[in-house]
Amino acid sequence: MMTLLHRLQAVIDRATAALNVLGTVLIVALMILINADVIGRGVFLAPISGVPELVSMSIVAIVFLQVGQAFRMGRFTRTDALIDALRRRLPRVRAVLELIYCSAGFFIIAVLLQASYPLFVKAWDRDTFVGTVGDFIAPIWPVKLIVLIGCTALLLQLAMSAIRAAILVYTGSGGEQGDMEAGHDPV
Amino acid sequence: MTPFEIGIAALAVMVFLVYVGMYVPLALMVVSYAAVWMMKGSPILAGKLLALAASETISSYFFGVVPLFVLMGYVVSVTGMGRDAFEVANQMFRRFRGGLGIGTVGANAIFAAITGISIASAAVFTRIAVPEMVRHGYTKRFSVGVVAGSSVLGMLIPPSLLLILYALLTEQSVGDLFIAGVIPGLLLALIFGLGVYTMARFWPGFIGHNLSDGDEDLLSGRELFNKGFPIVALIVLVLGGIYAGWFTPIEAGAVGCLGSILIGLIRRSLTWKDFWSVLTDTGLVTAAVCFLIIAAQMYSRMLALSGAPGEFGSFVAEADIGFWGVVIAYIILVIVMGTILDSSSIMLILVPLMLPVIQPMNIDLIWFGIVTVLAVEIGLLTPPFGISVFVIKSALNDDTISLGDIFAGAAPFALMMLVVLVLILVFPSLATLPLGR
Repeated sequence: MMTLLHRLQAVIDRATAALNVLGTVLIVALMILINADVIGRGVFLAPISGVPELVSMSIVAIVFLQVGQAFRMGRFTRTDALIDALRRRLPRVRAVLELIYCSAGFFIIAVLLQASYPLFVKAWDRDTFVGTVGDFIAPIWPVKLIVLIGCTALLLQLAMSAIRAAILVYTGSGGEQGDMEAGHDPV
Repeated sequence: MTPFEIGIAALAVMVFLVYVGMYVPLALMVVSYAAVWMMKGSPILAGKLLALAASETISSYFFGVVPLFVLMGYVVSVTGMGRDAFEVANQMFRRFRGGLGIGTVGANAIFAAITGISIASAAVFTRIAVPEMVRHGYTKRFSVGVVAGSSVLGMLIPPSLLLILYALLTEQSVGDLFIAGVIPGLLLALIFGLGVYTMARFWPGFIGHNLSDGDEDLLSGRELFNKGFPIVALIVLVLGGIYAGWFTPIEAGAVGCLGSILIGLIRRSLTWKDFWSVLTDTGLVTAAVCFLIIAAQMYSRMLALSGAPGEFGSFVAEADIGFWGVVIAYIILVIVMGTILDSSSIMLILVPLMLPVIQPMNIDLIWFGIVTVLAVEIGLLTPPFGISVFVIKSALNDDTISLGDIFAGAAPFALMMLVVLVLILVFPSLATLPLGR
């Protein structure tokens, strides 16, 4: 049971880490693109078309590509005063809270995923684009798809954290092991 | 329940969830979803609101600036420009009593002009300045306190991520906010420096009794140039470029990034491994911050639907507590929130609530932004929650210094910030004068 869970966690971690790498590459691309535009405009009087459109789409992609990993690495903001106090004294109560938070998160991200799906379908079916015809156009469905992928990754990580917390509630042990820490351990 | 009552209840539930430790973005989303469902009686509509906020909120050219300024901050810290700033500043202040402390403040002020996030300053100067000060007889409590206190300069002296966030929230110009932050930032640095000097003279029990100065490593003119020039060049490139109109503040993030990478490569101080690790870190910070922004947008759309900000505005107007009453109540609220939340969350939660209240009062929103950032940062130095203090604690890796010590050491600096805040409240032109208002 435990080894299966560990293997599953490892697979999901590898997937979110891969998305993280993609997002990171996109940041570098963004930097190069904007610099090319500034230099092109200032030095060669030849600005690049569509940079604002590309930037505004990329930032959405960057965020959703990395959001699963950000949760996994414990980067989601929270007030940990109560959680920390409980970890030392009442690890089981802490696990119950963690289970509640992760389940609520799972629920709301599932809602978000479900409600975002029609947006992707619409963009795909109608072939919606940004930009001006004749100058620069780019389809928006890839970004809508990335939102779905990112939400799925976050959903999986939330599910794993909820399962870990549930096991902790059940066994009442292992609270101090790094692997049982929801999110806060490096991969 | 009327929509207004639901809105108020949602606010209370949200604050409660944050207090008991739920992840802030998820708490904001859950509360907004439930509240819209209750108001409109339709879970489908509530889901739609979430989905639209998720795909629209950050889909703007301006948000591209977030990862770029974060990356620039990280790159300048791994390429050792923080240490250089520290050495140069020490050289300048070594004749003063408490010179290393003043040097830390000065280095932070310089570093703040090339980075937009105070976490970067806090992490860098904890590793560089704290050991140096302790070695020269400063108390540990003061050493960490001065680092925590002066790290907030990064948020006030442009470029600053918090000012960018505020600009996005209130639709003000990023460039104007950057200009407005300069004088308050320098004033704060000056007051910190004077404060360190005064404490060194009259309160040696706090700073340390036998302070020696760091004169064994005096820099030659050539070294001073080598260490100082890249930093000056980067400041001129980023801020000069914005004001000369070569590029927008948004593009400045990208240009500054490239500039700092090039400087790192030329000086051979940027390794591939470091670069990749700060790059992934940038991604994680960006995702966490922007996801929070998305969640806050859902929450403010929910609030707008409930009509709570409008009612709150007319309530404040009828209560007739006047301009100062509103501003002071707001500042107290921000500082109190700052004790439990990080700076961007406070801003994202409170500013949308306050905007409808203050807009009819003809308050200068640029000035209000500077006031907000200062108040937020004071909250960050007060226990129990202070992100800068946590970063210092984790960068320090020293069990003899407790979180309590860091908060105690930072307390005089929080007080000095309060003084600056009052000055800016009384003399708004400190912020707005360079804008010609």
